[in-house]
Amino acid sequence: MIVTALVLGPIVIGLALYAVPRERIVLVRIIAAAVAALAFALAAYDPAAPDASLRWLSRPFVASFHLGFNPISFWIVLLLALVTFGAALALNGPRARNIAVQLLVLQGAMNGLFLAKDLLLFALFWDLMLLPVFLVLLDGGPHAHAAWKYLIYNLAGGLALLLATAAFGMVSGSTDVLYDPNAHIAIGIVWGTWIFAGFAFAFLIKTPVFPFHTWMPDTYAELPTPMVAVVSAVQSKAGLYGLIVICSVFFRPEMLQARTLMFVLGAIALIYGALASLAERDTKRIVAYSSLSHLGLILLAVFTGSQLAIQGAVVYIVAHGLFSAALFLVLGAVEQREETRDLLRLGGLGSRNPKLAGALVIGALAALGLPGLAGFAGEILILTGLFSAGVVWPALVGLIAVILASAYMLRLFQGVMNGPDVPDLPERRDMTWLEGFAIAPLVIAFLALGVDPGPITSLTIGAHTAAPVNVSAR
Amino acid sequence: MTVSPESYVALSAVLFFIGVVGVIARRNPLIMLMSIELLFNAANLALVAYARAWVNNTGHVFAFLVITVAAAEAAIGLAIVTMTFRRSAHVDVDEVSALRG
Amino acid sequence: MLLLLIWLFPLVGGVLLWAFGPQLRSWAGPIGSALIGVPFVAAVMLWGDATTGAGLNLHLVSWLSGWAFGLQLDRLSLVWTLIITGVGFLIHVYSMGYMDGDRAYARFFAYMNFFVFAMLTLVLSDNVVGLLVGWGLVGLASYFLIGFWFERPSAVAAARKAFVMNVVGDVGIMFAVFIIVAKVGSIGYADIFARFATAFTQQELFLVCLGLFIGCAAKSAQIPLHTWLPDAMEGPTPVSALIHAATMVTAGVYLIARFAPLWSASADAQELVGVIGALTAIAGAILGCAQWDIKRILAYSTMSQIGYMIMGVGVGAYDAGVFHFLTHAFFKAQLFLGAGIVIHALANEQDVRRMGGLWRRLPFAFIAMAVGVLAICGIPGFSGYFSKDAVIYGALVTGHPWLYAVGVITAGITAYYMFRLLFVTFLGAYRGEVDPSDLGIRHPELAGTAASSGHHPEEEEPHHHAPSWLMSVPVGILIVPSILIGWLDAGGANAPWQRFFAGFFPRVAEVAPPLGELASTGLVLAVVAIGIGVAYVRYGTRAAHAGAVARLRGETIHMPRVLVNAYYFDAAYDALLVRPARAVGAWFVRVFDPHVLDAAVREVAISAQWLGHLFRSFQTGLVRAYALSLAFGVVCVVAYYAFAFGVGR
Repeated sequence: MIVTALVLGPIVIGLALYAVPRERIVLVRIIAAAVAALAFALAAYDPAAPDASLRWLSRPFVASFHLGFNPISFWIVLLLALVTFGAALALNGPRARNIAVQLLVLQGAMNGLFLAKDLLLFALFWDLMLLPVFLVLLDGGPHAHAAWKYLIYNLAGGLALLLATAAFGMVSGSTDVLYDPNAHIAIGIVWGTWIFAGFAFAFLIKTPVFPFHTWMPDTYAELPTPMVAVVSAVQSKAGLYGLIVICSVFFRPEMLQARTLMFVLGAIALIYGALASLAERDTKRIVAYSSLSHLGLILLAVFTGSQLAIQGAVVYIVAHGLFSAALFLVLGAVEQREETRDLLRLGGLGSRNPKLAGALVIGALAALGLPGLAGFAGEILILTGLFSAGVVWPALVGLIAVILASAYMLRLFQGVMNGPDVPDLPERRDMTWLEGFAIAPLVIAFLALGVDPGPITSLTIGAHTAAPVNVSAR
Repeated sequence: MTVSPESYVALSAVLFFIGVVGVIARRNPLIMLMSIELLFNAANLALVAYARAWVNNTGHVFAFLVITVAAAEAAIGLAIVTMTFRRSAHVDVDEVSALRG
Repeated sequence: MLLLLIWLFPLVGGVLLWAFGPQLRSWAGPIGSALIGVPFVAAVMLWGDATTGAGLNLHLVSWLSGWAFGLQLDRLSLVWTLIITGVGFLIHVYSMGYMDGDRAYARFFAYMNFFVFAMLTLVLSDNVVGLLVGWGLVGLASYFLIGFWFERPSAVAAARKAFVMNVVGDVGIMFAVFIIVAKVGSIGYADIFARFATAFTQQELFLVCLGLFIGCAAKSAQIPLHTWLPDAMEGPTPVSALIHAATMVTAGVYLIARFAPLWSASADAQELVGVIGALTAIAGAILGCAQWDIKRILAYSTMSQIGYMIMGVGVGAYDAGVFHFLTHAFFKAQLFLGAGIVIHALANEQDVRRMGGLWRRLPFAFIAMAVGVLAICGIPGFSGYFSKDAVIYGALVTGHPWLYAVGVITAGITAYYMFRLLFVTFLGAYRGEVDPSDLGIRHPELAGTAASSGHHPEEEEPHHHAPSWLMSVPVGILIVPSILIGWLDAGGANAPWQRFFAGFFPRVAEVAPPLGELASTGLVLAVVAIGIGVAYVRYGTRAAHAGAVARLRGETIHMPRVLVNAYYFDAAYDALLVRPARAVGAWFVRVFDPHVLDAAVREVAISAQWLGHLFRSFQTGLVRAYALSLAFGVVCVVAYYAFAFGVGR
């Protein structure tokens, strides 16, 4: 019941928001934030909520409308609710209502994606979650270019995912297998490689990983602030989540085969994203490229596959969601005031907007992996996990990326907030209570997780001692 | 005396051929519509003939379906023709090529 | 419980002052100081518990098995805790006077309190990841305080440089953590020291020590990661005193002393650390002779003195190294605070060429600085005499005669540049009214001096008054330990210091020194006397005072380029790392992404478009053409079935 409500509730309420007049922005904000808060409460209320399952197909393979929590998705659903809450409060401008609709639809679709225990359902929600983002991008008028880029890249992945899912169902007889300890899946080597390739292609584009990343900076730069917070925080994790709960369970041998290639791609992403961030001038694109770098680290962890690395990966997935959302929200607030995102134009805001500067510096510090914040906890668990599993050179590349992260994140912060006052920037007031309210939960969460990521690591232990059991049955 | 199924089918084939030629060769939309009607009825004739020959009602059922579709088609087709007539006085379908790629 | 209080009070202060600074106004200073003073008292009260057995332990949280975090107060961390909170408290009080009138008064104390919290995290942690957390947080506090006047581009750049270099150090420690977790399976000190002998091979042990030492080098400004320290003087002077002289920069000494068992087991690591320490000591001292900015002179002397400490703990003379930290914390803090009084009184003038004759105007500052200089030079009776001698002689006892020689020479150079500082600043005639160009100062901003452009953009009027009691009292208090604290180590093996650390550090194999301790002391004093003598002849005599302006001008112009550019380290980093990274990144963003990756995707799109054009030609819009193709299709289908089934029958 709870899980179904988490999926359908936001979608239905979201579509119903079209009934609210365009100019009632405050009402829209309240409704959207309330839905997000409710989703958070629902999910947090009972992590052991029973699954919802409904048989859907029995030929040519078994598929069900099967939703339920697993230890990883539980945290991601909470993260999504938190980020959506912040995003809802940041809704603004003439398009606020339409964005709110898509925001809630997106929340429902992504809840569905992460809660799906059926591969076919997973694939359907995968495509559904692309739609709101595409519509918002298209709605932006001059940004249509980014919209099509986003859609084409991700639908190419979605197509591969759908084909792989169908093939998986045909070969194994059932797609209702995610997190099912009784599922004994046998996929031959020939099929296994191709099906894995299909899944991996979709997941790598979505994450994204070099060289499929070019849609991301454009998308992040053109999306309105509330949307980009959710997309960067949660949607970008869909691929990594898929790799963890699908590929590393059913395709362990293939994962091992692809390991070297993926380490190379992940390492390239780490360095490429970091150096690109160092040179980029657009604030949002800097964060986009930094995401490329950070998510490369998670990719390394996922393909290492050791328990410590996976635990670190889950911590980092949540941490990255929290701080990237916070960064985008703050940068969005800056953009709204100063009407530019160009680092060369910005500067010296710190003395006029000290609160905004405080918020930005906390976000930037979390992103650069300051010890004591959640990003550090994930980073050090991942890197230690890599190293302990004998994956040495990618771990060392990760260390270089850590150094570069401090350079580009400080460049971002200082470029916006420090330096002499720039006189021709429009003078606006400091951070409002509403904006503070949107960011505060995220900041509190990554502070708390930075001090003690224990709740996450203890839950995912169960997840990954269970996972290899299925594999051994092959 | 009974007429053999072959005769029905032959008649149906002839009607169908006439219909095809009508659709392809004529440029008047009304004639083309009538030719399409001819195609439908040729098919109907064949369906009914086979249904009779094999003592299977499926053919009859489909014949009724085709009649319905034909009626709908005629209604819509005539409506379109009327609309095109209103926009220009031409009666030549080759002049109406708004859907050219 | 008291331990938790020591640790968290400064954090509370930091958060409180940061969040409510504007409301607290002038209360921020007293509150901030009190929240450092109370932990000091608490630490004193815990003396007994900390010095019995293994000290106090307190478990906090556990991430995973083997990743348990807690606090630990033993003898070593007690020494640091007392210095951090004690000297920290005095510097907080001093700051109330120094920062008075600054627009961001409360923010300053918030950062200072946060720094103390971070530093306590570093020294109180009972595991290596906790230490790393503290390590990163002190770097952050240092970043904030160096960039405190963030409207000034130079301060902003210096702050970023300091932070990034410190992250290099963090990464070194992370690397050590990798190996420790992989081999020992736990991050706690106790586990590491209990198991490292069996868990590590000699090579792994060296790598662990190397990783830790990269951390030390970055934090403690050891070559080649030292370049951030002189730039860090962009921060307010109390910050330089607390962070960049007394406490944070000596964290490297703490780290090596903490991991003494590891170092003692790895001869290679000892060799490396000893050599780097000695190299830094002499390189810093030489650069100290070439500076004109009063704070940069002190910064290079700090670098050089930490080199001594690192050399001491590196060669295995742990108690001597730690002791030099203790004395240095007092006299260097005092030197900086004295310099702060001078800077404050001269409206933010930092260039010693534009000072001179200040002993008449600022007698108290003169006395304070003089005591500090005597202490740092190791004049008998002053604290530096005991600790520096112990470090230098320790190198000889543990069998490193070359390091000993470097140490002795550095002592002479130190004496020279510190007395040069004292003479040029306080003796002779005041040169503040002399045209800067007559002194050889061409571009005040470029010469590394902030000169008359004004340091505090926020301040409405420059301070020309004598130091307030808030500034002079802490300095006065610091004079006492600057002189006396050294006596703790007087009396050989029975000295209080020796008894305090008896059995705490592993013993290192000693060799028969070719020189007796007394003879060594005599040698060092002789070299120091030469250094002082040279400084006196060049800057102290009546004749030197008379021709000071011309002389300083000549020196400025003829200063060797290699020293002015600090051995070209900055230039090398810029050319080898910073510029290439920027260029490659720019190439990625402006060329590779749009013109290679996107272009490839565009090609795919264009070929799809071409297919579209092809199929478009079929869409004629002629109904009869469609009908024809339809008929053609029917014929094809019929023909197929006719051939497939009809012919076969």
